[in-house]
Amino acid sequence: MTSEKDIRTQEATARERRVTRQVFLAMVQRDLLIQARDIWEFVFRVAMLPFILILTYGYVLPTLGVLPESFPSQMFAGMVGMSMLITGIHGTAVPFTMDFNNLHEIEDRLLAPVSSTVVALAKMLVGIIESFVGGLIVLPISLLFMGSRINVTMGLGDVPALIGILVLISLASATLGLLVGTIIKPTQIAAMFPGFLMPVVFLGAIFFSWQSLSAIPVLQAIVLVNPLVYANEALRAVMTPQIAHMPLVWSVAGLVAAIVLMGGFGFRRFHRMVVGAQK
Amino acid sequence: MSDNILEVRDLRKTYHKKGGGDFEAVRGISFDVPRGEVFGFLGPNGAGKSTTISMLTTQLEATGGQILLDGRSVTDDPVGARAEIGVVAQHNNLDRGLTARENLIFHARYFGMSRRDANAKADEYLEKFGLANRQNDYVRSYSGGMAQRLKIARAMMHTPKILFLDEPTTGLDPNYREILWREMLNLNREAGTTIFLTTHYMEEPERLARHMVIVNHGQIVAKGTSPELKALVPTSTIVTMRLSRQNEEILHKAETLPDVSHAKLQGGAVALYINASKPNFDELFRWTESLGVTVNDISLKQTTLDDVFVYLTGKGMNQDD
Repeated sequence: MTSEKDIRTQEATARERRVTRQVFLAMVQRDLLIQARDIWEFVFRVAMLPFILILTYGYVLPTLGVLPESFPSQMFAGMVGMSMLITGIHGTAVPFTMDFNNLHEIEDRLLAPVSSTVVALAKMLVGIIESFVGGLIVLPISLLFMGSRINVTMGLGDVPALIGILVLISLASATLGLLVGTIIKPTQIAAMFPGFLMPVVFLGAIFFSWQSLSAIPVLQAIVLVNPLVYANEALRAVMTPQIAHMPLVWSVAGLVAAIVLMGGFGFRRFHRMVVGAQK
Repeated sequence: MSDNILEVRDLRKTYHKKGGGDFEAVRGISFDVPRGEVFGFLGPNGAGKSTTISMLTTQLEATGGQILLDGRSVTDDPVGARAEIGVVAQHNNLDRGLTARENLIFHARYFGMSRRDANAKADEYLEKFGLANRQNDYVRSYSGGMAQRLKIARAMMHTPKILFLDEPTTGLDPNYREILWREMLNLNREAGTTIFLTTHYMEEPERLARHMVIVNHGQIVAKGTSPELKALVPTSTIVTMRLSRQNEEILHKAETLPDVSHAKLQGGAVALYINASKPNFDELFRWTESLGVTVNDISLKQTTLDDVFVYLTGKGMNQDD
């Protein structure tokens, strides 16, 4: 028989959960509202990189004959993966470091009566949502510039696998964003693109498959630390399986490992920042 | 229910410096904050006030000691503690991407209030703090005084039991300081909210706070009510006279006068520390006449908390080491 005390405890726990859910949603809503007010900045930031890469490598160079006609198919999966990862990292890391360091805006949320993990998770969910928008934005640009040259061979049966992979990529982007956000300072944001995102992009198996890197074994080994490699190889395995790719089990394992590792480090650094640093 | 809303025991914070060595910002302080009072936490810049407030409000992990908020340990249950406290930081940490009204409503939502309650309370506070006509403006367009009022309104939205104010009037002009204090005292009286005030402006706690502690170099140097603290200084009145002739000989002679505990040259005038609440002016003027000096200027001052601080630490509140 359940005692009165047990019922009271259960009620308190249920109330706590409800409050936590509400607080979490309010924090997400706040970030999305701020982003929506700057919608054109967002669209420009997210669309520009895939646009310029697709225009150059997917349209201009194949049309000029510098790259083969099949190249757009090779890079299509990579564009989706890159756009998702970069958008998610940016969407989590930049507001995070700004809120924390420059403007102290996050303090109000850190003083909310919920675990500070909720604050980090809310920031990450916003990164995940932005990451999906980043992936979606690639589709119309790809259709416009490389439409007839893309040979996507996946069937309807592959859709659940694709969705699973997209979710993993967005999670990886948010965890990496959290980690980066706890490391960089606002003054270093300008250096983040050439110093961190460019190497991730250009060594991320976008324009070549990981398998084809066997010609340069050292590089093939080094790029394994880049989560974008696993993201793109997993997408390639599902969307354009005719192109040589890493076995899906490996790429998925790589993505999961990246999420666990970066998430672990990211949360540890985040908690240290929350209670250890003197402002 | 304890009479104290907050009980602090042997609270410590030690920072490990990068190049090795430790810096003890707070060195084992203990004090009680009575429920429903305005409590003053005073000390010069760098005394450890902000570090202490950060620990009391769960924003910084203490190295040692105990903090009990309404009888419950803040370190064991920081989430529970945060529901009961409101914090007004020294710097502007308002959400600049939101309007004033949204700042209040989002804050209320972060504290689990329903949308309806949040809206109603936001309306009430915008009105009360004189911000209703600017409620839909982004706070980045707010002046310092308006931002400060909004910060306080925001911290009060979830009806905290205790409100921490870290140097709330720094950088505000005297007019705004007055308005702010009137509003704060109203909140204290009407809602019964305990107010924990840190400041290095000594006249503020003197007027507002009942109990207070004075900290210096991370330690408490004195605690008590304003009269209790002032009683620590052996004199209660200071007479400052600008004389036509001012030298050591005059100071020596002054110290032989009845009730004068000591005399010194201070700010280009002779300051007489007197052990009586009312100095005998007739006697003072007879004395200057006998010396053949004229009094160009004379002023009388009761002991202030600033004098207490100078007496205890040997330096002024706004004076660096």
